[in-house]
Amino acid sequence: MPARSYLTGLAFLSPALFVLIGFFFLPVVLTAVFAFTNMSTSTGISGGSYVITGNLLGSLKAQGVAPTVVDALSQASFVVDEQSIAKAQAAGTDAQFLAEIEQQLSGKAFSEERAFERELKSLRYRPRSIRDLKLAVDQFELSVLNTRFASAAEAREAVSELVPSAPADVVDEIVDASYTGWRWTTSNFTRLVSSSDTWRLVGNTIFYVAVTLSFTVFVGLFLAVTTFYLPAGAASAFSMLWLLPRITPVVLYTVMWKWFTWEGGFVYTAAQALGLPAFNYMKGSVPTAWTIVIMVNGFIGAAFAMILFSGALKAIPVQQLWASEADGASRWQQIRFIILPHLRWPILFVVSYQTLSLLSSYQEIWLTTNGGPGRTTTVWALESFNTALNSYTGNLQYGLGAAMALILVIVGVALSILYLRLFRFDELLSRPKIEF
Amino acid sequence: MTRNFANWPIVLVLLIISTPIIIMYAFLVIDTVTTSPPGSAIPNGFTLSHWRFLIDPTATGDVWRPTLTTILFTASIVVIVLGISSTAGYALSRLNMPFRRYFLAVVLVMHAFPLVTLIIGVFLVLQFVGLYNTLTGVVLVKAGLMLPFGIWIMKGFYDTVPWEIEMAGVQDGASRFTVWRKLILPQVKPGLFALALFAAIDAWGEYMLPRILAPSADFEVLSIYLNTVSDPDSTTYNFNLFKSVGLFYTLPILALYAIFRDRLMNIFGGGTKG
Repeated sequence: MPARSYLTGLAFLSPALFVLIGFFFLPVVLTAVFAFTNMSTSTGISGGSYVITGNLLGSLKAQGVAPTVVDALSQASFVVDEQSIAKAQAAGTDAQFLAEIEQQLSGKAFSEERAFERELKSLRYRPRSIRDLKLAVDQFELSVLNTRFASAAEAREAVSELVPSAPADVVDEIVDASYTGWRWTTSNFTRLVSSSDTWRLVGNTIFYVAVTLSFTVFVGLFLAVTTFYLPAGAASAFSMLWLLPRITPVVLYTVMWKWFTWEGGFVYTAAQALGLPAFNYMKGSVPTAWTIVIMVNGFIGAAFAMILFSGALKAIPVQQLWASEADGASRWQQIRFIILPHLRWPILFVVSYQTLSLLSSYQEIWLTTNGGPGRTTTVWALESFNTALNSYTGNLQYGLGAAMALILVIVGVALSILYLRLFRFDELLSRPKIEF
Repeated sequence: MTRNFANWPIVLVLLIISTPIIIMYAFLVIDTVTTSPPGSAIPNGFTLSHWRFLIDPTATGDVWRPTLTTILFTASIVVIVLGISSTAGYALSRLNMPFRRYFLAVVLVMHAFPLVTLIIGVFLVLQFVGLYNTLTGVVLVKAGLMLPFGIWIMKGFYDTVPWEIEMAGVQDGASRFTVWRKLILPQVKPGLFALALFAAIDAWGEYMLPRILAPSADFEVLSIYLNTVSDPDSTTYNFNLFKSVGLFYTLPILALYAIFRDRLMNIFGGGTKG
């Protein structure tokens, strides 16, 4: 009964499926979807409304909308009709006063607030306080400026009511431009391609990945090979020491680097004592900032590489080494002709795995230099994160950030699939032996 | 092994490239119990005053609440990761089902794939389901992001269990679930233990997810607490204080690591299989 065993499998798998769909599949889809929107803090995540603002009118004028229409829209007018009287009644304006307004001013319109106010002041039942009078005046104001309309139809109605002369397509244009929610667009990508910042980011990222990766591999190799030759005690002391960066929580680890390189920190104090230039090395100059970023990440990577390489070294048949020594091989020859060939696959693995994780890692950079000084140590992943979730100006551009992240996702998936082929995925898979 | 080469040059070079680590970690411990004169890194006196934050909340705010939150946070993540990885790993290792191959490939891609890239998407998902700014949301996301790794590790451990055990169980009429529960799970206890250790260390150190996905929530984990204490731009910035807090925060991890080093090495190395 294959169906039944399928069900068992699915039942075992379902909790994992649920979480993985929620936190992997869905985020990937959302990233892809929102990469094609202009969503930001100001547009909100759910839908928006229609608001005609002063700024918008200014830009509409610049776009060639007839000035008469724009001016009419920006003007408030005061109209006494059934609608406005009902509105004032609902707002609690004195009934006698209202009746008088209706009687004397019905059907009249005023383009200036002052004129209307003067007219009201001359009435017998006017309220005593100026504040109440102003409140009453407000009820008769007819303006679209800064009013929030929930739907396009409402906004269209309000605009055509205020400017009956405006042609329908102009009204549509105004209403469309007044939408505050997000919309579909490909401008994120055109912006990325045309911006010169983008290419600098790409350059930074390539530099960062290449140098950190070389640091990781060479230091990792050096550590693994040297500890391999050292007596057990010294070897385990060094390997434990180098594991510390990998297991220390990232906040403490980066804060320790800050202590090490910040103003008043260790290197600063030492440099002062020796008469060398002392400044905040993490933020004071570009070369020192890069050096620190690379070391902060490189130390973590080197620990990872060391573990893998040491594991692989232990698998080398020791007779090969004995034999080479009996033949008079120098240590360098041993490393070159026995050890390195054995480490080919582990090295390839570290390179592929680290490329991917360095490409997308920004946690350490964020917590140390935060891309500074200026934006010199900003990499692609950090910029994408800052754009979408961590902007100084307070306007988080989810759309643009998602577009940047999407590019990383695509690169990441392509590389992972390539690696799966490289590391022979098929061999990892065996068929179940109980079929029923 | 070989004795025909001198060791000291190697040790010297190793010491030189290890200098930053040695200095940072040595001073991490030393500075918490000493005072040093301004403008110098060399301590000149012994004191326990940097540890006052443990009993006196006026210096940095109460430290025990974040500690409890972190314990809760870590424990929930470990439970979720263990629960889901042990079932899914079993399914992928042993059970016959459609698309098993593809699912395994997808898990592997996810494992190789850097998760931080997804943070924007995860942020939007949490906004939509209303778990933004909640501890539950952060726990679920963190556990979710650890899952591919956990599933992969557990699958590896299940693969080493002999088929005979399972066949014997099925022969005697037990259901697949009972076989898994009563016969197979006890066989992979070392795997569960190693995964629990790893998940605990990982969750304990997590900083980014609570910071981004629950920026204004009413709970605080120790990593956030430490980062607040150790902001170099703040006026109360004090190297000794943040080191004491940092050491307090990291001690459980160092202890776990010291006790279970061998098992962890297994998973650190084995977890990143090719």
